Amino acid sequence: MLLELRLSEIVPGMSGATIECVHAVAGSVLKPGARLLDLSIDLSSAFAQECPPISFFRVILRESAVLRRIDVVPGKYMELGEVIALFAPTSDDPVDGPADRSVRIATAGIMHHAEMWTGSHQ
Amino acid sequence: MKVPLTLGPLSAEGHTILRSGVRWLCNDGYVCRPNEVIGYCNLSLERSGSRTAGAGPFAEEMEIQVGFASRRPGRIRFAAGVALGGYLDIREAKAWDAATVIAEIETDDASAHDGVSEDVRLLMLAGRRMTALADVHSGLLPGWLGRSRAWWGSGDEVPLTLLSLGICDATSVVLGDQTAFLELFADCPHALHVVFHPDHPVAPAAPVLLDQLQRTPSQFKAIAQEVRGYMASSAASPTAEDWMFVGVLLATLGRNPLLDSYSIFTPSGLQTIPPAQAVLLSLNAEPQTLLKHRKLGYRLHVMRHHQAAAGPATRAWMAQEFEVVTLSLEDIRRDYESLIDAISSQTGAKVIVLNRMSTSGYEDISNYAPFDSPMSNTLANIGSKELNLILDEIAETRELYIVDVDTIAAALGGRNHLPDGIHQSGLMQAHLRRELLHILDGLRGMD
Repeated sequence: MLLELRLSEIVPGMSGATIECVHAVAGSVLKPGARLLDLSIDLSSAFAQECPPISFFRVILRESAVLRRIDVVPGKYMELGEVIALFAPTSDDPVDGPADRSVRIATAGIMHHAEMWTGSHQ
Repeated sequence: MKVPLTLGPLSAEGHTILRSGVRWLCNDGYVCRPNEVIGYCNLSLERSGSRTAGAGPFAEEMEIQVGFASRRPGRIRFAAGVALGGYLDIREAKAWDAATVIAEIETDDASAHDGVSEDVRLLMLAGRRMTALADVHSGLLPGWLGRSRAWWGSGDEVPLTLLSLGICDATSVVLGDQTAFLELFADCPHALHVVFHPDHPVAPAAPVLLDQLQRTPSQFKAIAQEVRGYMASSAASPTAEDWMFVGVLLATLGRNPLLDSYSIFTPSGLQTIPPAQAVLLSLNAEPQTLLKHRKLGYRLHVMRHHQAAAGPATRAWMAQEFEVVTLSLEDIRRDYESLIDAISSQTGAKVIVLNRMSTSGYEDISNYAPFDSPMSNTLANIGSKELNLILDEIAETRELYIVDVDTIAAALGGRNHLPDGIHQSGLMQAHLRRELLHILDGLRGMD
């Protein structure tokens, strides 16, 4: 069974998100609660403000899975709906073909931190 | 009833007040509310009689304007010939004449008398440019201002001064949609003087404000000398962006807004009023990390999106000459307490703080086990709750007034009115403004 993580809408009005940190490594066996990645959402395009309304989020896993492929690096801007990663119950499951469902995740608002791409490269 | 609206008296001893033509902020026939600014003109103070040595009042403030508001509701009809167009509505060429009729108001207000003129309320506006080069002619308080302020120029009561040193969440509440204090004063008919400082290039975090309050002229001289020395020997050649950034940085670090006194002019003349009696801060301005100068020890916080304006030499300076200091919640508590105590002892001003939104509809955490302790270091909403609690605890031992953004946002609905936790909707700004004015009314009553 193939599970996918696509960028879905976290904040109304967002058109995409910037990957800030990637915590998980392809091939890892991940447990519920494992950190996958941190991302930032900049609503500047949706709200005219004098400073960029940026929010930071962490995506964590809510089920056990093997991370088979992760296609992002810090700094990459992802459009809504783009595939971020593929998961499978075991390391042997094939990763070609359509996903059976979305992987179960939780999203948490987090503080900016020193390891984030934003701040060190912008 | 039709009531002619006249400019009314305005004076500044030793000066002739000149004005431009009127620029209207509404259409002819607009139905206005009391205290709503409907038009404005530019002012200048020209010394009259014998010239005295030294800078006169408002010498630093190259933008002086006056907004006009009716004291009662009604339909505005513009007087002919007061809007002159072009440069004549920008340049100050006419002497202020109290009897000049600028408009007429058609009102049902029973206290008005048909045909009997009354003076407009004058909202005085003054702006100090970040650089004298920021010579912009359009609109209210135009250009790039390092300080802007407003006060009702009617009545002789000495106004209470509010100094706004917050970031975005305070800016919008204080300045309003036209960045000219109009909404705040429309809701406040009392004697009030509001001073606004922007959050760039130096963000007003408590430790930065504390250092600024306590900085001596010789310490500032050392800061300026070190900056000049670094730029002169920097491996990265300073660019135009570097010179502009450090120029504005030094201009900001060399000032002490908490101790500023102010010139104002009113119908009865010039007054000098003391430093602010109330200071507005944003809890959102407190960072998790800030910069501390390795040799001189002063602390600096430049928000990330403002750092982008710095050139390569300035970025190298910040990277090499400063250490990054991580602030715990207890550090923030200590800095706030120290700042409140220092302000209290130096000017007696009361501190008002906008607290933080501490919930979000955008997260779906069902289990907190994956997050390391202390969770306030990672999870934004837990960090905000703990900081809000710290404010409440400080308020138990010190005179601190809290504008409860957290509660107001939750009551209105954060998703629609505070989507990113900092930038509010117009409705929420109006609620926060009322809350702020309520606190100021309480302070006024304590005088």
